[in-house]
Amino acid sequence: MTTAVLPPRLSDAPATRRLDNGLVVYALGARHAPVVSIWVWYHVGGRNEVPGTTGMSHFLEHMLFKGTPEHPKGDLDRLLARYGATWNAFTSEDWTTYFETVPAERYPTALELEADRMTNALISVEETEAERTVIVSEREGNENDPSFLLGEELAAVAFSRHPYGQGVIGSKEEIQLMPRDGLYAHYRRFYSPSNALVVLVGNEEKDALLDAAAAAFGDLPAGEPAPPVRAPEPPQHGEKRLVVRRAGGAVPIVQIAFKSVRASNASAPALQALAVALAGASGGAQEAASGRSSRLYRALVATGLATEVEAGSDLKKDPHLFTIEATVRPQGDHRAVETRIIEELERIAQEPMADEEFARVRKGLLAATAFSTDTVTWRAFRLGHLLASGAASSIGEWYDRLAAVTAEDIRAAARSTFVELGRTVGWFVPVA
Amino acid sequence: MSAVAAAPFAVERGTAGRLRVAVAPIAGLRTVVALLALEAGQWSEPVGRPGVARLTALSLLRGTAERDAAVWAAALDDLGAVARIDVGADIASMSGQALAEDLRAYLELAAEAVLRPAFAPDQIELVRAESIAALEEDSKNTRGVADRLWREIAYPALHPFRGRPLGDEDVVRTATAESLRAFHRQEILGRGGILVLVGGVDVAEALDTAAAAFGEWPRETVPERRSVPETAIAATVRRAEVVPDKTQSDVILGWLGLPRTDPRFVAARVTNMVFAADTFASRAGKVVRDKLGLAYYLFSRIGAAKGQAPWMLRMGVNPRNVERAIEATLAELRVVLAGDFAPEDVQLAQDKLVGELQVALESPGGIAQMILEAELFDLGPDHFVRYPEQLRAVTKEQVVETARTFLPADRYALAIAGPPL
Repeated sequence: MTTAVLPPRLSDAPATRRLDNGLVVYALGARHAPVVSIWVWYHVGGRNEVPGTTGMSHFLEHMLFKGTPEHPKGDLDRLLARYGATWNAFTSEDWTTYFETVPAERYPTALELEADRMTNALISVEETEAERTVIVSEREGNENDPSFLLGEELAAVAFSRHPYGQGVIGSKEEIQLMPRDGLYAHYRRFYSPSNALVVLVGNEEKDALLDAAAAAFGDLPAGEPAPPVRAPEPPQHGEKRLVVRRAGGAVPIVQIAFKSVRASNASAPALQALAVALAGASGGAQEAASGRSSRLYRALVATGLATEVEAGSDLKKDPHLFTIEATVRPQGDHRAVETRIIEELERIAQEPMADEEFARVRKGLLAATAFSTDTVTWRAFRLGHLLASGAASSIGEWYDRLAAVTAEDIRAAARSTFVELGRTVGWFVPVA
Repeated sequence: MSAVAAAPFAVERGTAGRLRVAVAPIAGLRTVVALLALEAGQWSEPVGRPGVARLTALSLLRGTAERDAAVWAAALDDLGAVARIDVGADIASMSGQALAEDLRAYLELAAEAVLRPAFAPDQIELVRAESIAALEEDSKNTRGVADRLWREIAYPALHPFRGRPLGDEDVVRTATAESLRAFHRQEILGRGGILVLVGGVDVAEALDTAAAAFGEWPRETVPERRSVPETAIAATVRRAEVVPDKTQSDVILGWLGLPRTDPRFVAARVTNMVFAADTFASRAGKVVRDKLGLAYYLFSRIGAAKGQAPWMLRMGVNPRNVERAIEATLAELRVVLAGDFAPEDVQLAQDKLVGELQVALESPGGIAQMILEAELFDLGPDHFVRYPEQLRAVTKEQVVETARTFLPADRYALAIAGPPL
């Protein structure tokens, strides 16, 4: 039996201010904890790189922790550690983002640190060399994971022109050759108020948050907006396949990716719902009980063909991928798993979804938005991600778009996405 | 019911069957985190049978007397709720999150799973097959291999922490349905546990709801707590294992920790932070990652448990740099042991640990974990007031003394897994 209870929409719309230098600041309240979370998003990532410089945006992200004249190396880490802050940075294909979640009384300092490194990072030759081995180490850690190895190859095969095929971290060889001057030029080109947005969420009046951000960033020079990426992916005209054979994995993996739509596309919310229908809203680890009523779990895991299954479609600026990954049981049959997945995808694309199943999918989709945004840091991330990807202008607007998805929208999204011509299939085959 | 004054959040307490219940209402949240800690972790496993706790725990989420596995799972998904179960040193932890309005329905499902699991043969076989797959996957995972190796050289035979929660393959393959039922009856129903509810809830309603769900707890005998002799690492032990076709080595340098109830535990947390807890704020991380560029990650964790849980430092290093990274880490440890560091290092560690308590309030899950630790180890109703003061009171001399007692530089267990060195 399904329940009619839906999570309340997060009705608190962000206050927005565009500074004279082009920086747009968004502020949102979160009154349940004495903290503020600050996220600075730059419109630069793997999509802004070309062969020979892959991984440059990610490398640069590391260098932004290496000091400025005002705050030499170690200052930022020491100050934030002293506050008990949570802080980090992430680079994706579309953006690079830096965040700090700090006790509320400390957020002006965190803003000042971010404003300082937006334009004053040193990026010295010595620090570049010291960090190079750290990034190689990060890359090598990823390479230990068969799912990463297969996913990287699959993206490279799926995209023939668009830089989404290059991934984010870059090849080890290009990391080893990355020139300091190239990093600095990348920094100068992409790090400026006119190519960034700032999100603040926390226990403070929204106007006060905006004022503090304006005070920190308002005097910075505007810079130039980033040039658009001009490498549209041409249509795919047939299935692509690849096999990765390595000893470094014990279990077989099947990944299937379909060309999808950009985050701002009208069908993007339906694709999120489609992912929930196929594999649940919260991943497929053995320890997790959620999502076991989903179609692929019942078809693959409950039958013993696979041990885990996930499905998802990232919110990206340009058309990206809808991906399904199944961990095949040891000594299992890739072909049988792939066939079963395709059957389920065809079924959801063809057959109407029953009311009971649709209600369950809708509830899972909307509840998941409430779970993550009840934490201040992830409420801020959510807002920033929606803004940076172009998916929506507020969490409330995105909620409304998710809530408006119908069962027929899901079927239509499946029908338009799960086509053989746009399919790429990858197998990870363990070898002895 | 009793309230704690002057804590960063209010905690109200009650009981539900054999559960102690702690509720912290957080105004403005739409969801509630339900953290159910069953005292049925590794410590409670039958001697020499690592893996039984996890098999039992996973089987709880595979159907009940009232609903088969598929129907129970669909009911959980109908709520849009999330639930998972993990086994640790002392507890099996069922962590869930639901919309606040769905708390009653969620707790009813959780209570069914905990009190009346079906242990249906087909579902036990599914859990067994998944666990064997997880063991196989782990055998090619450098982190998993390093963890297994480290435990094998750090703990004596039959110690509850010698194995991993995932267990031994032989145990996973041979555990019978009856052995899982017995573990459930004795350790889960017999011991009970703790339920922590944090989020957009009314306290009285939450306590009533918990009592209604778990109130009819079967009257099983409370088992004796397993007695495990104190142990020690007598000399430096090192073991390396090649995991084929990998590019990075995982290294674990570790010692045996101390019980959370030991009065020196708070000083140990400060010591851990000074030494290596944080890649950026601690001495070892600053040298190995920031100065020498040898590792992407390096951190140490001291387990909060009733026994001697691992006190482990982990790092991921290129095989060419393994020896250098280990030596640099040990050099920083010797600095701590010699007391040759600035008092500001202790101050920084204390500031970070105290500050983290405030930042953790941003998340209902973070608050629930803090409450669980206080309840599990009976740290007292005024713990949240005293704990920051306890952290602040740790002196440099105590840090040095703690390191000399628990982190000797000439007696440790070292495990390395990855490419040939």
